[in-house]
Amino acid sequence: MNFEHCIRCTICVENCPVFKVNPEFPGPKQSGPDAQRFRLDGEKSVDEWIRLCCQCKRCEVACPYGVNPAEIILDAQLKYGKEHYRTLGAHLFANNYYLGRLGSTFSPLVNKMVSVDIIKNIMNVLGISTYMPFPKFHMLSMNKTWRKSGKGQKKVVFFYGCFLNFNRPDIGKQIRELLVSMGLEVVLPHQVCCGLPALGNGDMETARHFAVKNAGILAEYIDKGYDVVYSCTSCGLTLVHDYPGILNVPNGKKIAENCYNVHEYIVKLIDEGYVELLFKSVEKSVAYHIPCHLRAIGIGYPALKLFDRIPGLEYHVLDENCCGLAGSYGFKKKNQETSVMLGKIAAAAIQALKVDAIVADCGACRMQLEALSGIPALDPSQIIHESLQSAKVKTAKKS
Amino acid sequence: MSIRSYDVVVIGGGMSGLMAAIRLSQNGKHVALISKGDPVCCLSTGCIDVYARSDNPMDGIRKLPESHPYHLVGEAQIQKAFENFIDIMFETGLPYFGDIRSNRKILTPLGSAKTTCFVPCTMLHAQTQSNGYMHVVSFQGLKDFYPSYITSRLKNTGFSVFDAGVPTTIGIATRFEDRPFLQNFIAWLKTLEIPDGKIAVPAVLGIDNPMSIIEEIESELDRKAFEIPTLPPSIPGLRLFRALKGVLQAKGGDVYWGKEIASVEKLDHQIEAVTLATSGRPSRVEGRAFILATGSFISGGLFALRGNTVRETVFDLPVYLPGPRDTWFHEDFFTAGHAIEQAGIQVDASFRPRQADIENLFVCGSILAFSEVMKYGCGHGLAIATGDAVADMCTRHIP
Repeated sequence: MNFEHCIRCTICVENCPVFKVNPEFPGPKQSGPDAQRFRLDGEKSVDEWIRLCCQCKRCEVACPYGVNPAEIILDAQLKYGKEHYRTLGAHLFANNYYLGRLGSTFSPLVNKMVSVDIIKNIMNVLGISTYMPFPKFHMLSMNKTWRKSGKGQKKVVFFYGCFLNFNRPDIGKQIRELLVSMGLEVVLPHQVCCGLPALGNGDMETARHFAVKNAGILAEYIDKGYDVVYSCTSCGLTLVHDYPGILNVPNGKKIAENCYNVHEYIVKLIDEGYVELLFKSVEKSVAYHIPCHLRAIGIGYPALKLFDRIPGLEYHVLDENCCGLAGSYGFKKKNQETSVMLGKIAAAAIQALKVDAIVADCGACRMQLEALSGIPALDPSQIIHESLQSAKVKTAKKS
Repeated sequence: MSIRSYDVVVIGGGMSGLMAAIRLSQNGKHVALISKGDPVCCLSTGCIDVYARSDNPMDGIRKLPESHPYHLVGEAQIQKAFENFIDIMFETGLPYFGDIRSNRKILTPLGSAKTTCFVPCTMLHAQTQSNGYMHVVSFQGLKDFYPSYITSRLKNTGFSVFDAGVPTTIGIATRFEDRPFLQNFIAWLKTLEIPDGKIAVPAVLGIDNPMSIIEEIESELDRKAFEIPTLPPSIPGLRLFRALKGVLQAKGGDVYWGKEIASVEKLDHQIEAVTLATSGRPSRVEGRAFILATGSFISGGLFALRGNTVRETVFDLPVYLPGPRDTWFHEDFFTAGHAIEQAGIQVDASFRPRQADIENLFVCGSILAFSEVMKYGCGHGLAIATGDAVADMCTRHIP
């Protein structure tokens, strides 16, 4: 364990969103490396506050000494989860993939139900917060559409993630169209939840179950020469960071090495001369809210490389605020206050800019910020899709 | 040419790296900044010490040993660098004040005086030389800030304690951003009927908008107010870092945060690219020129192995050492000027490392040999001056 490298400088504490607004949480230094010294193998965890960490990973990005406080905390959260009774809410969120399948199958009914007061009251009793409208489910989810589209020398597997799959298949389809237009064969194989919601709810077993399943499917494609492209930055972080790391699944390293953020991949295609993109003008001013997990992946902010090529697009980069929702974190009643306080800080920073829209790679960030600021939120791929005039694929001549 | 190819790649996100990167962006260069984590700047008082061992910093600099890197910058450029810094900070809404020919003494939480040169607007009235009454305001439970340290040392002072509901600098500063909290604080101050004089508050008056907060307190109470820097987590250091990082991003610089350099690609006498360590595939960043601004031991730019070896951690450059290990330290830790402070990279007149045979690498900040920033009290000052100088050298190298 690298907690011994901590010199107690408190840079992680300066970057912790939860610590900023919730005095109950002792911060990443104390709950990570400091407390780790006292967590003995044979003893039961007693630190309930450990669950207040939202796993945004800002402490890991900030730590200059490579301590990874968030991972130490995640480990403690999983241990706590194993030793204690988990609420029904936690079980539901850990298995949100199955909820998504149910929700999407019976979407007209479910979408109505979650907006009815009595159902809301039941959810509140279960510890589920309802301050924000629940994301709508769609019947025609990604996993029910074409398995394969496009043709080209390069082939990719699209890991679309639960949010695009069940709630915003329209964005998923736009991303698929983008990739196809760039001369790629795009495959949407059967896939399950990345496992992050289960990890975040202290359920290692479910997380590993999902991860092992995905890893098997993805590795098979990678062996056949496919690259994996993800859009959701939290799924992405789980694939590249947790599959070979804390989840330690077979083929984890192979998957980490062959996964690309969708915009990173497009930039790579341009770099390699595979495709030439021509953009038409988009007269828009946007606030680009950087999701915490995009920061944590460590690839910079690749969508900006494409934004720079779009005439008329004015953007402001905001990377100091966590939206506070953090996946299922903010949907839990006990975290609602923290989540809303953080969301309001992030929303105020955006409102001060007087922009037409918010842009964020993460569906949860978009939900939270749109609800709290009243400004529409878009995926960067939507902007790119809207402004792409033509894509000239250049490899055809090569033979 | 790759989209991920830059004119200049700056390695190290502290004061010197940020200042160099901003200066280069001002010169029209396309810049990437890579940082392993947040810099030591975040732990600093946010004040700029140019040379703290004499009343006139410029006089002190003139008398420094010939080997000191300040001499490589030269007086004219030192002045120009600080003028540029003042201009930049003015635009960020966190203006800095000071005179390069005259140091000031500001109040510390111990009631002692700290010598510094440039201070943020919130410490404009923090000078200890004053005859009037001073009222210290502290916060319930705030660690490492005990107003009686100050009132027992200084005559004509008094103190009061406010209950902010949270006991941490970060928590209190976040609450100050909330208008009702600020109004409540001001209303409370008014009830105290403080005698005429100055009001001193630990540095927790907001994170993003300290200037408007302090102005409101001053105008509502009709007297001068100022902040006293605290122990880390230090809000003024955090504000300074965030402001500069924001300037770089607004000028089109790309930041790659939270990852260290995994490998360096070198061809003949040129560095061509560096790759960032990520959990997955290493991420490659190309550049025409490179700047090393990784700081000294505390920031991880230098690393002491057992025995008499010190390694430069990115390019493995030759490191100057003052002698064998038994000569590195004074017996008493608090005696200024431990010999090991001289350790670092020796450079030629154009800030290129000596005996390294690399044409496109420049070095700035406290990793420079003979900088001895603790001994001379010149950390941020040297960073600003050498950052500026190196940016100019770099611009000349790649016209």
